[in-house]
Amino acid sequence: MKKTLIYFASFFAVLGVVFTILPLGTIALLPVVIALILAFLSFNFSELKRKKISGVILLISALTLLVIVGKEIFVKDVVILDKQFEQKKIESKKEDIKDLEGL
Amino acid sequence: MGKGFIILSFLLIANLGFSQIKPNERLVYAASYNMSGLMTHIAQVTMQTETVKTTKKSYLHLSWEAATFSKWDSFFKIRDLYESYVEPNTLKPSLYKRSTFEGGFTIAEKYIFSPDNKTISSCVKVNKRPETKKIFSVGSGSQDIISMIYKLRTFDLSVLKPGQSKLFVIVFDQKEYSVSVKMLGREKVSAGNLGKKDCFKMSISANTNKLKGTDKNLIWLTSDTKRIPVLVRFSIPVGTGQLVLSTASGI
Repeated sequence: MKKTLIYFASFFAVLGVVFTILPLGTIALLPVVIALILAFLSFNFSELKRKKISGVILLISALTLLVIVGKEIFVKDVVILDKQFEQKKIESKKEDIKDLEGL
Repeated sequence: MGKGFIILSFLLIANLGFSQIKPNERLVYAASYNMSGLMTHIAQVTMQTETVKTTKKSYLHLSWEAATFSKWDSFFKIRDLYESYVEPNTLKPSLYKRSTFEGGFTIAEKYIFSPDNKTISSCVKVNKRPETKKIFSVGSGSQDIISMIYKLRTFDLSVLKPGQSKLFVIVFDQKEYSVSVKMLGREKVSAGNLGKKDCFKMSISANTNKLKGTDKNLIWLTSDTKRIPVLVRFSIPVGTGQLVLSTASGI
């Protein structure tokens, strides 16, 4: 049971890190919160040797949580200027005017 | 996102003779998609208008542009552009264009409406397949999806009682679709830089399986004469999402 808790906590912690790297926003909170709960439970119920592993998972999950919250607060959603797209729009407009002249 | 999202976004916004659509209006939205129960910001949607002149006449150029936020570009890049050139007073379309790029999948579509609006000459190119050309008949009241949205905004919606609907016919994917816009009531909704606004809450439905559920595809239009679409909620086969107005200028 205690081992299972650690396995699951590790799995969700890794998933949380992966989701944090991907642009999934607050979705990453789901695995991280689960990892935190499982790591906390295993930390409380484990003997000293396993407490260390649980502690590491707890720390990783807490740091991931901080990164997610930080990204949500400080990183703004921006659309970069896509020169290729802008050029395509200009060319498209020229073509449109030609079509409209023909009507 | 896909077609349902596009149809909905457009359908959710369109009417007659109440408010005049002006050039140089710019409405910017944040588009979110529901992932595992959480709304995730994925793209910016911009609706704008401008006057375009040819040697013979003036048109109102209506455009709708969707671009993923930079953090998504490496995973699923979207660059969609929908345009309609319309007669400024009646919003009758002359030319409609669609250019979509969604995660590598492309569609380029052009419809030229005949002056009597009874036929459309279309050109469609999907990915690298050969371009297909087709001339097809439509009802004289049919519009493209963009001009329909703007037309909806020109309606006097205050005369509609809850449960009453307005009907439209749009042309999309070389087919005609009936679209019904039903009045649900009024609600106060946050409208970006406009603050909190009193809005008409309306439900959009169409004879297509691209929109799911009853009263699950909703639009909130400000109840003032400008009829700004401030919030859109959609439900399509692949999920649900929303468009929230961030900034409105030139209104």
